[in-house]
This record gives sequence, structure tokens and C-alpha cells, in this order.
Amino acid sequence: MAGRSLRAHLLRMLLPPIAAALALGALVSYFPTTEPATHAYDQALVDIGLALGSHVRVMQTEYRFELPAAVEQVLRTDRFDSIYYRVMSPAGMEIAGDPGLPAPPGDAVAHDAQYNGAKVRVVSVQSPCGRSTCTVLVGETMVKRERLARELLLQSIFPELFIAIATLLIVWFGVKRGLRPLARLSDEIKSRSAGDLRPIDAAGAPEETQPLVSALNGLLTEVSAASRNQQRFLADAAHQLRTPLAGLRAHAELALAQPLPEASRAQVEQVHQATIRTARLANQLLALARAEPGARSTTSLVDLKSLAEGEADAWVHQALARDADLGFELAHAPVDGDAFLLREALANLVHNALEYSPRGARITVRTGRRYDGSAAPDSARKGGSAFLEVEDDGPGIPAAERARVLERFYRVPGTPGTGSGLGLAIVREIAASHGATLAINEGMGARGCRVAITFPHG
Amino acid sequence: MRLLIVEDDAPLASGLQRILEAEGHAVDVTARGEEAVLAASQEKFDLVILDIGLPQMDGFEVLRRLRAGPGGGGPMPVLVLTARDAVDDRVRGLDLGADDYMVKPFAMPELTARVRALLRRSQAHGGPRIAHGPLQLDTVARRAFLRNEPLELAAREWAVLEVLLARVEKIVSKEAIIQAVAGWGDELSPNAIEVYVSRLRSKLEPAGIKIRTVRGFGYMLEEYK
Repeated sequence: MAGRSLRAHLLRMLLPPIAAALALGALVSYFPTTEPATHAYDQALVDIGLALGSHVRVMQTEYRFELPAAVEQVLRTDRFDSIYYRVMSPAGMEIAGDPGLPAPPGDAVAHDAQYNGAKVRVVSVQSPCGRSTCTVLVGETMVKRERLARELLLQSIFPELFIAIATLLIVWFGVKRGLRPLARLSDEIKSRSAGDLRPIDAAGAPEETQPLVSALNGLLTEVSAASRNQQRFLADAAHQLRTPLAGLRAHAELALAQPLPEASRAQVEQVHQATIRTARLANQLLALARAEPGARSTTSLVDLKSLAEGEADAWVHQALARDADLGFELAHAPVDGDAFLLREALANLVHNALEYSPRGARITVRTGRRYDGSAAPDSARKGGSAFLEVEDDGPGIPAAERARVLERFYRVPGTPGTGSGLGLAIVREIAASHGATLAINEGMGARGCRVAITFPHG
Repeated sequence: MRLLIVEDDAPLASGLQRILEAEGHAVDVTARGEEAVLAASQEKFDLVILDIGLPQMDGFEVLRRLRAGPGGGGPMPVLVLTARDAVDDRVRGLDLGADDYMVKPFAMPELTARVRALLRRSQAHGGPRIAHGPLQLDTVARRAFLRNEPLELAAREWAVLEVLLARVEKIVSKEAIIQAVAGWGDELSPNAIEVYVSRLRSKLEPAGIKIRTVRGFGYMLEEYK
């Protein structure tokens, strides 16, 4: 199941709120800084208004505004902005200036407005004239103010941007780092072999993953208990089958030891052979089930040489019965493995060689270690790839059939005898469960068959 | 010889009984471990064939009690039969004092061969003479006879022959032979063993006693026919 990434999910949850909070922070810190600046510019306009107000003369009921041209020139000159003014009598009559400059509404002292097609800031100043007060409006275009606002915005945005990027990076790496224990956990599970049902080591895993680890361990315990039960069942089934088969075989052999009419003898011989095959099949099925991935096998250090030596006596007697020349070339070949399964693999290979070779065949069982070019064979007792192989000079297996003979119950068409077609499939399963490779080739002089199992470099 | 079979599967027990009786032995059969322990304590058996998978008292327990009895059951050899192939079972059986071990189902000729070998070994304990067809060895006087004629054997030839005679019809590795002969001081090479065996062959083969070579492994003294 390809689930959503927890990391992406966490980032999706965290980043938008953090981005929104940062934007809000930028706004909140921007407005307080523009406020005093605006205020200072307004104050300058008020000063101009007061200066203009002092030039109003009261003559009886008439108001006269006398401003020398030079002063007006100075007043109206600004490096960036155009300045407007409008002087009104206490009754609201125009006295001088730019008529139409909009007055702030109501009691307001300053406002933003449109004038001459541009945005202007207008302040209203009450100036004494006679016993009453005149109103002086001073307006100014917004170039300076907007420039200041831009500068202030930029100045506040850089630190905010820095904080935003830093926060992003911290969240990105923090989430990655925070999820590291989960990654470690999955690595531990991934690196396990299929048959490894030991509980996961919960020590060092963070508290939040403990429920997951203990749930997994619970499952592993159940699976390994089920696997043990299956093993026990198989062992019991083998016992239950083998004892009656031993009885059957004993009586068949007893009958064959007595004088029998030719027809009956042939039939009893059939029963005898069927009994032997059935016993072998029971053994093979047991081995196949035990080599199954997940079946808990008992692993120990097994020397393939001693394994072969232990079985050699039985094989030699089987070979004598078939007139075969069974020989050995045994060198130490230590392997971490299941002794029962390895013995079964070797027994199947020897059995095949005996079964499918003509009388008088020469069969050789080899064990040892192969060294690739890099390590000299005598440089150390350890190392090298352990192998076992069985070679015969029988009919061999045609190259085209070599892959198929590894399938369960497959037999090369036209093969004599009564094999089940399980032998090599079992050998393949056993090799696979030990991480070993199985190779089928011709024997010496391109004759016969050589089957080799090579174990991983030790 | 008097044999006791302890096996709860009736067809197998009766089959074994008839085969061993045909070999000329007197055979008693019981299906229960408790009875076997009792019988062995009251009568003398030359060999016990013991199934491990018995109901109630299992074969391991029977074996333990036989060996714990007066004289440890004496020289009485025990051949254990089992339907299990777990290595632990094999080791446990041999640790408890079993002399040999067979996994069911087995071929009757193999069983009778092992019974003969075990009986020969236990009888050899009692007497100084070993017989193999027309060959007779007096291990005390260290003298050999072939067809009742004195047979000259060099010391090392004698040692090699003794090793092979102790395991008739069983293959014996060259290493095992070297180890058995190693008490003689100097180093022995596998080639030296080949020389002794070939000398033994030239002396014994005219009388029909065959030593078979197992290529790359060792030798086997064949049963005399």
C-alpha cells in the first residue's frame, strides 16, 4: 500500500499557518512604523499652514492675503511634491490659493484626497485673523510619503523574509529528523530475512512509536507461534506416517524372503517399492514445508564435510546395490544453516545421481570452499564460498530442461523410474532458504550431470 | 541370542520379531516402556530394540532407567528406533547410552546387519577372540588364523584389520584408521594406510574376505558370504 507520506502531511499541516502568521507579523510591524512618519510630514504641512495664516490681513470686514511672490515661491517649492494651499475666511469665503482643494470632512484635521488628478494629503489649520479664525488648507502630493512607505516596507520585509526562510528550513529538517526513529524502525524490519520472527527491539524507539512496535511484536509472536505449531504438526505427521510405513516395509520384505509364486512375488515387490517411494515422498514433503520461507528453522554452524561423512555409509550401500562407484572429495565447508535441510538437499542430489545413472555409473560427492581470485586459498582458514556438489556420468539433463526440472513435480519426459519430481525442487528451496545458488551443468568431459550448491561468501 | 523389542506399533513389532526370529534369535515383544524396564530388570537380554515414540513412558525414559539399573544394564546394547529426524533426538539418544540409532522406515537387511554388528561387538567384550568367516583373531595372544592356519600380520596390518573388523559392513574413513593406528609414534600418511590395506588384501582375498575401497573416503570390510 503506497500511503501518504507522513513528512509531506506534516509539512502541509505546518507550513500554511506558519506562512500566514509571518505575513500577519509583517503587516503588524509595518503600520506602526509608517504612522510616526506620516505624522511628521503632516506637521510640516501644519507649519506651512501657520506661516500662510500669518499673512492674512483684516481690513474692517474684508480679508486680504498678502504673500510676497518670493515667499510663495519658497513655500511651493519641494524637491518631490507639488504643494497646494487654500485660505478661507471664518465664514468660509475663498480668500486666496487654489480653490477646490478638498477640506477634511467634519472635525478631521487631515485626510487623503484627490486633487488635480493626483492623490494628495490635505491638512487643515485654524489661523487667527482679527477676532476670529480663518481656515488654511495645505495639500501635498504623496510622492515623498509613498517613497518612505516603500522604504519602510522593504526594511521590515527583509528580516521577516529571513525569519520565514529560516522557519521553513527548521520545519523541513526538524520533521525529517523527528521522523528518523521511524525510518530506523522500517530499516530494521526491511533488513530482516523472511524467517526472522524475533521481536523488534523497542529500546531506543521514541515513546510515540511504542504502540506500533508492540503491535508488530504481538503479530510476530503470533506468527512465530503459528509457525512452531506447524513445525510440531509436521514432525508429528511424519512420525505417524513413518511408523506404519516401517511396518509395511518389514512385512513386504518378510514376504519377499519366503518362497513365493512368480506372479505374487512381482506384486509384493511392487508393494515394497511403493512403500519405499511413499516414505521418501513423506520425507520430501516434510523437507519442502520446512524450507518454506517463514518456517522457523534451527540454524547452526554446519560443516558440509561432516554432514556428507555422516551419510556416506548409507549412500555407499545404496550405490553397491546399484553397482555404482560412489566416491568422495570432501574438504571442510562450514555453513550457517539447518543441518536437517542441508542433509536432505545432499541426500536428494545423491539419490538423483544413483536413480538416473545406468549401472556401473561413477558418482562423486564434493564439498569444500571456493576462493575467488582476490584471496589466496591458504591465506586463511576462514572465508571462501562453501559449496557442495554431486557429479555423475549418467545421461545428464538437456540444457533446455535445466530450468524446468527445478519446478515441483516436473520430470523430464521419457525419464525412467518412478520419482515424484520433487527432489530438485526441494534442493532449490533449501538452497534459496540458505541464500545459496543452485547450478546444473555437465560433468567432466561434457558428460553426465553436475549439480552444485554454492553458499554466500563466509 | 535373546532380544527384546519395545515397539507400540503392532504390525512393525510383529514384522521385526519374525525377521529376527528367522535370524535365529529368541525375541520378546512389548508395547509398553514400563514392561520393558521390568522385563530387563528380571531377565537377561543380549540386545534391546527400543522405539522412542512410546505412549506414556517414552523411549528416552526407558533408556535412562535401563542404564540407571544395576550394572547400567551391563554390556546389553540398545538399538534405538525413531520416526523423528531431529538431530537433538539423535544426540540425546546416544548421550543416554544408546549404541545405535535408526530412523524409520528402514530396510530390514540394514536392521539385521546392525543387530549383528552390535551383538558381535558386545560378545567381543566378553571374549578375546574375534571371528570373521574363516578368519580368527586372538586379541590376547595377538595371533591370527586363516582357515585354521597361522596368518602372519605385521603390527600395523593387525591394527588396521582390527579397526575394520570392529565395523564390518560399515565404511571407515582413512582418518579414522590413521587415528586408531596413531599410537605408534611417527606420522602416518593416507598413502601408508593404502599400503597396509593392499597387503591385507593380498593375504585375505584368497579366502574370500573382501576389503572394498570407497573412493576418496576409506575402506569397508564386507560381510563374509
